[in-house]
Amino acid sequence: MNRVLIDLKASFKMFFRSKAAVFWTLAFPCILILLFGAIFSEMDSKYSLYVQNQDIVDGEPTLASIGFIEALNLTDTFNLHILDDPTINATKYALDKELSYVLVIPEGFENDVSKANATIEFIYDQSQTSAMVVMGILNSVINEMNLVIASYPNPPQHFVVLQGETIAPKRFSFMDFFLPGMIAMSAMTTSIFTAVEISSRYRDTGIFRKLATTPLRRIEWILSRTLYLIVISFIGMGVILMLGIALFNVKVIPDPLSLILVTTTSMLFSGMGMILSRFVKDPETAGAAANAITFPMMFLSGTFFPLEQMPEFLRSIATVLPLTYVNNGLRDAMIMGEPQRAIMNTIIVAVLCVICLFVGAWITKWEEE
Amino acid sequence: MNRNLVAIEVDSLVKKYGDLTAVDSISFTINKGEIFSLLGPNGAGKTTTVEILECLRRPTSGRAYVLGFDISKDQDDIKKRIGVLPQEFNTFDSLTVRENLQYFAGMFGSSVDIDSLIKLVDLEDKRNEQYKKLSGGLKQRLGVAMALVNDPEIVFLDEPTAGLDPKARHGVWNVIRGLKRQGKTVFLTTHYMEEAEALADTVTIIHKGKIAAMGTPEELITRYGQRNLLILRNTDKVAVPLIETMGLEANFDSDAGDVKVTLNHSSDVSEIVRALTLKQVPFGEMQLKRSSLEDVFLNLTGETLREAETP
Repeated sequence: MNRVLIDLKASFKMFFRSKAAVFWTLAFPCILILLFGAIFSEMDSKYSLYVQNQDIVDGEPTLASIGFIEALNLTDTFNLHILDDPTINATKYALDKELSYVLVIPEGFENDVSKANATIEFIYDQSQTSAMVVMGILNSVINEMNLVIASYPNPPQHFVVLQGETIAPKRFSFMDFFLPGMIAMSAMTTSIFTAVEISSRYRDTGIFRKLATTPLRRIEWILSRTLYLIVISFIGMGVILMLGIALFNVKVIPDPLSLILVTTTSMLFSGMGMILSRFVKDPETAGAAANAITFPMMFLSGTFFPLEQMPEFLRSIATVLPLTYVNNGLRDAMIMGEPQRAIMNTIIVAVLCVICLFVGAWITKWEEE
Repeated sequence: MNRNLVAIEVDSLVKKYGDLTAVDSISFTINKGEIFSLLGPNGAGKTTTVEILECLRRPTSGRAYVLGFDISKDQDDIKKRIGVLPQEFNTFDSLTVRENLQYFAGMFGSSVDIDSLIKLVDLEDKRNEQYKKLSGGLKQRLGVAMALVNDPEIVFLDEPTAGLDPKARHGVWNVIRGLKRQGKTVFLTTHYMEEAEALADTVTIIHKGKIAAMGTPEELITRYGQRNLLILRNTDKVAVPLIETMGLEANFDSDAGDVKVTLNHSSDVSEIVRALTLKQVPFGEMQLKRSSLEDVFLNLTGETLREAETP
């Protein structure tokens, strides 16, 4: 055990002396957070808006409801989808179909407009960065409509009011959603790159050969390496959370489950790094191989964007990527308040972790190279 | 054979990699306290042999004992008692000289005095310098110090001066001589003839996995080397019959005006000078070419060391 501690101490010294290691492990995720934070507060595009028109008289939509939908269309901001069935529960429908924005024009809308007492229900997913933007656009359409009606002789005061209903169980922002993804990505890249880099470099430069002449056992070295990467992953997690809390007012809280997930994630990917380094010849190729694994995983497993926004075939790819379960698990634990789902994801990650670490430890060789 | 005096005993050691026989049934014994050099070109099987003895590789067949411990069973006992400078040695780049030594001492649970080790290899000025900032020669000296952190009885140095300039090489040689003074057994592999000649008590020449010859450098040169050569520059060809009357072989090179004499004994030189002076035969200068291990290798293998290097 003493040898493990000596190796750990030396590893941390080397980590903090390496500007590149500190940058990629701690500074790089922070830069990504700042970039994404800046980009998504400025984003502008067409939004998918589902509209359920319940204001139907004699099988025909009322003129007021058609006028309102037409006004939405004129903004050129929305891709409008009109729901066929005016009777289904729109909130349930939005949840089932994973829709971000649904607008309900209630029965009697036309009648209520004439009494200056109309309401439109807006069902939305608060985790979407664009939620506030969409709501703002809807409000301005309604204000415009109110002004037009106000120009009639003897107008009532407020004709239409937008009433919002959020479909996320808790209120959380895009950054709340984004931060667990960054924590997962940081634990993955730190662990896999460090494991690959160290294993291939030590083999390439003969440090393994030198270590093999000492009483240090391979398993002690692997234990020290794994502990080291877990601690570095936690340091990364701490820095990301502090930045999120300080700059973006995020409300995510690391609970025991998320700590277990970060631990198993780090172990899973250091095992994967060990496996990878066995099949590549030199440190340069090792880095490229690690990139080839982590890059697609970063983009396809819901690190930066919700999986729901991706096409169906990409979603099916995500189901075989380990990082998907880390991302889902961390969000379940840290923002969604879904401990059952978080536990299921943790179990999946833990099983993969045991397999990768076992295979990695088994095939990492110092001797007979 | 007194086993207490034996450091390493190797018996019919074989190592095969597929069809290639890297080490082909070699046997030798090394006494405690001596500098033993395994000399041969790159690819001769030196590193394979040394790594088998360091318990880093397993032999295909044969036996070997290090300090009486069997390499196939007693790896832990052996590793505790030996120090190793591996070929193309490297250690942790961003740790200092002192930190690297502390790390490896820690691995052995050794309470060795790090400062005295630093002094031994003359790195006192560099103790807080990171490894990556050291020159090649200083890196090798740190490597030797790192091989001593567990106060080993045997020190294995695999090509300790490969790629170093002459000054750095001599620095490492001084450290190796210091190890002998401390009573340590040194197992040195090298492809530099002059290194083996300068340092080793016993030289074993290995070629294509087989032992070609073994003995002290002097014994090998006497037995397998050419006789020493005396070259008389700018002299007259009358010198040739004069020297031949002394029972020596002499040849005149008319282009250069040189006479080359193959000596039987070193005392022949003074006899020749006296005879030439007496007969007033002029000569410009004299050059004595001593036979070396290079000649020994050439005679034994029919190749020069450079030619024998496997690509």
